[in-house]
Amino acid sequence: MSSEPRQTRQQRREAARTARVEAERAQAAAVQRRRRLMTLGGVLAAAAIVVVVAIVVSGGGGGDKASDRPAAAQNASGAIPGQKESSEMLAGIPQQGIYLGKPDAPVRLVEFADLQCPICREYSLQALPQLVQDYVRTGKVRMEFRNLSFLGPDSVKAGRAAAAAAKQNKLWNFAHVLYFNQGEENSGYVTPQFIDRIDKAAGVDAAEADAFAKSAASQEPLGAANTLANQYGVNATPTILVGKRGGTLKAVDADATDVGAYKSAIDAALGQAAG
Amino acid sequence: MTHAASIQASPDGERRPGAIGDRHLRLVAIVLALIGLGVASYLTYVHYEDIRPVCGLGGDCIKVQSSEWSKLAGIPVAVLGLIGYAIILASLFVPGEEALIAGALTSLVGFGFSAYLTYRELFTIDAICPWCVASAIVMTLLAIVTTTRLLLSPSDQRGALPYVG
Repeated sequence: MSSEPRQTRQQRREAARTARVEAERAQAAAVQRRRRLMTLGGVLAAAAIVVVVAIVVSGGGGGDKASDRPAAAQNASGAIPGQKESSEMLAGIPQQGIYLGKPDAPVRLVEFADLQCPICREYSLQALPQLVQDYVRTGKVRMEFRNLSFLGPDSVKAGRAAAAAAKQNKLWNFAHVLYFNQGEENSGYVTPQFIDRIDKAAGVDAAEADAFAKSAASQEPLGAANTLANQYGVNATPTILVGKRGGTLKAVDADATDVGAYKSAIDAALGQAAG
Repeated sequence: MTHAASIQASPDGERRPGAIGDRHLRLVAIVLALIGLGVASYLTYVHYEDIRPVCGLGGDCIKVQSSEWSKLAGIPVAVLGLIGYAIILASLFVPGEEALIAGALTSLVGFGFSAYLTYRELFTIDAICPWCVASAIVMTLLAIVTTTRLLLSPSDQRGALPYVG
């Protein structure tokens, strides 16, 4: 009889203890949940910041964004970017259609490029001037520009205009000036006005070039370049092939701006041509 | 029983079912990271070896890889992907909350940037590279798995204890 109240008290104490443990556990779980959610919030915020920075940096990076360039070509009141550089680089060097340099040069360099390709732009602006100065101007190398147009409609429009410039033996000026003013890929920046300004800066007769670019004949060099690219197994732009005149051409495995690698390949071909 | 169900079914005291769920999630993450590492290695290889990538399903890998979005601050995005997958994979073999955070952070960054690149492929470059899409899918799944682990992994596996699967 006397044990019953004691048992009840024990049960009550047990129940209270269980409730306290439950409450502590629930509180601990809530604290943990809050802490994990805060961690997740921090991780999400940090990830968002890194992604935004990466997006800002991508696509040309810094102050040299492709999207900024066509405006420069269209708005400049005086000289167009690249006009001075291209005329200085090419002054006095013979051009014939897609070729640059003397026909009897012992070494041949073939460039496969798309005028919209940003890495081709890097090659053209950072490696080409030195190569022209050291090898084409000195009569050692004859260069050939094979215009691929696989990146999109703007590539085709620019390619047809380039074919028109080639007809006037001004292709190398045209391509070099265009690379300086290259816009955001397939943004529709290759307008008649854009081509007109590039033509003028490259010394091309714009009216005559426009008429040719509209004709079916302006497509032919693009098709020929594509056929040749397939023949040589060219699978990326820019691809630079080098070899002695009349010999086998070999692709130079180098970064677009690695002038040293191109020089080595040309020197090796010059050695073969001399030997 | 799905992983999510096994986690939700965790009793208050013993977190055993949760622990099993986390182990499964970790295994899934390891497999995904290895797949991602394979894809990124292949894309890095074709980039530096100048090889035409195998590009089925009507894709145009060359167009994508020649675009201005193929590099970030001069570094090929394939290389960045390779580094990202390596970090995620390494984090899965390191104990502690810091490793969970590092894995989730890396995969969320990878997910965000992959989403941006896929948007560029679809709407600017107008070409699809199946390898890049595969990587984007793997990164999305990794973001889901690593974030779930960060939120739900059992406390007893967050300390600096030996962490073997």
